Amino acid sequence: MDRRTMLKGGLALSGVLAMPAYLRAQSAKKLSILTWNIADQEAYFNEVFADFKKSNPGVEIEWLDKKGPEVPVFYQTQLVAGTPPDIINTQGALWVEYAANGALMDITSMLKGNAEVAKRFNADYLANWTLDGKNFMLPFYITKTLLFYNKNLFKEAGITAPPTTFAGIMDAADKIAKGERTGLLTLNFDWLYWPFFKSEGVDLLTPDGKKAAFNTPKAAEVLARLAKGTDSGAINKTSWTGRWVEPNGAFAAGTVGMHHAHSPAFFFMKGQGPWINADTLGVAQGPGGWSTPNSHGLGISKGSKNPELAFALLAHMTSDRWTQEFTKRRNVLTGNTASDQASLARLRGEEPLTAAVLQTQLENTDKMTGNWPLPFDAALKDAFYPELQNAVLGRKDAKTALNDAERQVNRLLSRRA
Amino acid sequence: MTALAAAVDAPQARPRLFARKRVRQAVLIWCFLLPSLLIFGLYRIMPLAWNVVLSFQEWSPTRPATWAGLYHYEEMFFYDEVFWTALWNTLLYIGSAPIGIAIALGLALLVNSDIRGRDVYRTIIFISYPLMTVAVGVIWRWMFDERVGLINYVARSLNLVDSPIPFLNSFDWALPSIIAANIWQMLGFYMIILLTGLQNIPQNLYEAASIDGADARRRFWRITVPLLKPSLFLCFVIGMLNSFTSFDLVYVMTGGGPGRATELLVTYVYKLGFVQTKFDYAAAVTVVFFALLIAIAWAANRLSGGNAGAVESD
Repeated sequence: MDRRTMLKGGLALSGVLAMPAYLRAQSAKKLSILTWNIADQEAYFNEVFADFKKSNPGVEIEWLDKKGPEVPVFYQTQLVAGTPPDIINTQGALWVEYAANGALMDITSMLKGNAEVAKRFNADYLANWTLDGKNFMLPFYITKTLLFYNKNLFKEAGITAPPTTFAGIMDAADKIAKGERTGLLTLNFDWLYWPFFKSEGVDLLTPDGKKAAFNTPKAAEVLARLAKGTDSGAINKTSWTGRWVEPNGAFAAGTVGMHHAHSPAFFFMKGQGPWINADTLGVAQGPGGWSTPNSHGLGISKGSKNPELAFALLAHMTSDRWTQEFTKRRNVLTGNTASDQASLARLRGEEPLTAAVLQTQLENTDKMTGNWPLPFDAALKDAFYPELQNAVLGRKDAKTALNDAERQVNRLLSRRA
Repeated sequence: MTALAAAVDAPQARPRLFARKRVRQAVLIWCFLLPSLLIFGLYRIMPLAWNVVLSFQEWSPTRPATWAGLYHYEEMFFYDEVFWTALWNTLLYIGSAPIGIAIALGLALLVNSDIRGRDVYRTIIFISYPLMTVAVGVIWRWMFDERVGLINYVARSLNLVDSPIPFLNSFDWALPSIIAANIWQMLGFYMIILLTGLQNIPQNLYEAASIDGADARRRFWRITVPLLKPSLFLCFVIGMLNSFTSFDLVYVMTGGGPGRATELLVTYVYKLGFVQTKFDYAAAVTVVFFALLIAIAWAANRLSGGNAGAVESD
């Protein structure tokens, strides 16, 4: 072999090796799937894919998993490169931006052509992934907010039942707060705090989505109450960090009365708080029965070379068999109605507390809020949330903060129009 | 050709030979330089140029680019309050570099003296620098924690405060807390640079000054500080560059909050690009950010007499 041939061979080999795996997976009969921070489920995915390959011989599936903050960065760069993964898993409202900007495939017709698949899902959850009447994603696993409460602290404070309204929650928080103890924690990323406002009749935008609608006397009242609670110690200040670990860890420490959080928080808290069991931890719906979903969906990239095959894989992954298997391994519900009921029935016998937590996820699904299909949801959050922080942490009074937030939100809406 | 003819031709052939050699040398030099220049052009110059172009366009990963003119700049300068807050915070953050340098100078003087165990002290002071910034952020996040943080624990144990201070949740304390963490991390680096500078100052200058009756304070201001100027400015320039790119510390400790209290330009650019998918607008902010960086680096270099980082020789 002469030097030139060796050089050519070496270059070709390094080209192949340097080519990202997901790029190689873009050719015919190959699928790539990008998931969101679920690397621990490698065994599950291997089994699902092996089963899919049995009915689709010759198909190769490339699975990639990225941590939450890395998913959008990775996906955006792949979109620019023209090599998006065939299937993408997103959390919360991230999908809307991709759908509105043409990155995701409209799967409405595919769903219509597969009635068996379409009718699997809880309609309220499935509706979370619709934009302008078109379906863009299928549920992968579903979560929404609920109210966890520490029964021991409730008993000590003389509270006999979990509060059901915003005022009730705040009153209970006041009663519990004493010394190192605080009454309430809330997660607050992705609009998870919005049930406090919605339960008091406050809407974020006008029905046509063109103007801010939240600057009302009632909203000012809610915000002022949250600020007062934060100042007095009734609300734990960790609530307003926007983080996940610290608030959940604080509740798990056993010194906080209530925690307004989504269901996955339960498993973290259970792992951290030895006091947590069915006798000490109670679960209830959020204020007024309202909740904010923060579910995970699976969609198909418009740039997929094998959209039909990708949809077949989605149908396979969301089937009764594999969703039940997923619940077994991850203790989450999947939005597949039959599967979720079967999983809950099993869990009631095996893990009653887990079953009680997950049961809340299937209740009041017609009262979900904070899941507006807005293509600029992230920018909207960024315009609103800092002003909320200004108010609850005492830098501005509620009315001023709402005025400032309204001005910024309206400006954003007019620029995006 | 006869020997005579060859001898006559020789002087004419020599320059051609040299010229060929020079060309070959130049080609060889360019061959060695080319990979680095290609990488530099590809990963530094091209993105910079593209970033400038992008700042005048409407673009997102899912839409083709259209010309936007000065739209983003108009938005930034006249309507975007967050930009001005982030800019102000960035300037405050940069402005904190001299505090760290001053502390490092004190420590460098200390470990440059004849105290016992000075090598151990040098190592202890330096150890914070090689730590991953994310790790530093996590450490300090817990240190500043309102309920379980060491700082609050000590402050309360000593009865310095009645109730714990929510350092990272406070509009007043959040930025100073991050600055403190940043100074802590950079302290070791500053100290090493300044220590090297101190050790390059000839001892005979101090001896001569002592003989002339100069006390320690005068020796410090008249000998140490002037001769340490290049090292001090090197510290300042590097500290400033570090402040400009101090994304991870802020991201881990506060994420830019509460409100916008710790939002820096670099964190704002990240959010615009990767959270809000406004890459075009993020590019415009980056252009201003870059211009500011160049201006401050230029000013710092001018102030140092144009030789920041130069090594003093005897």
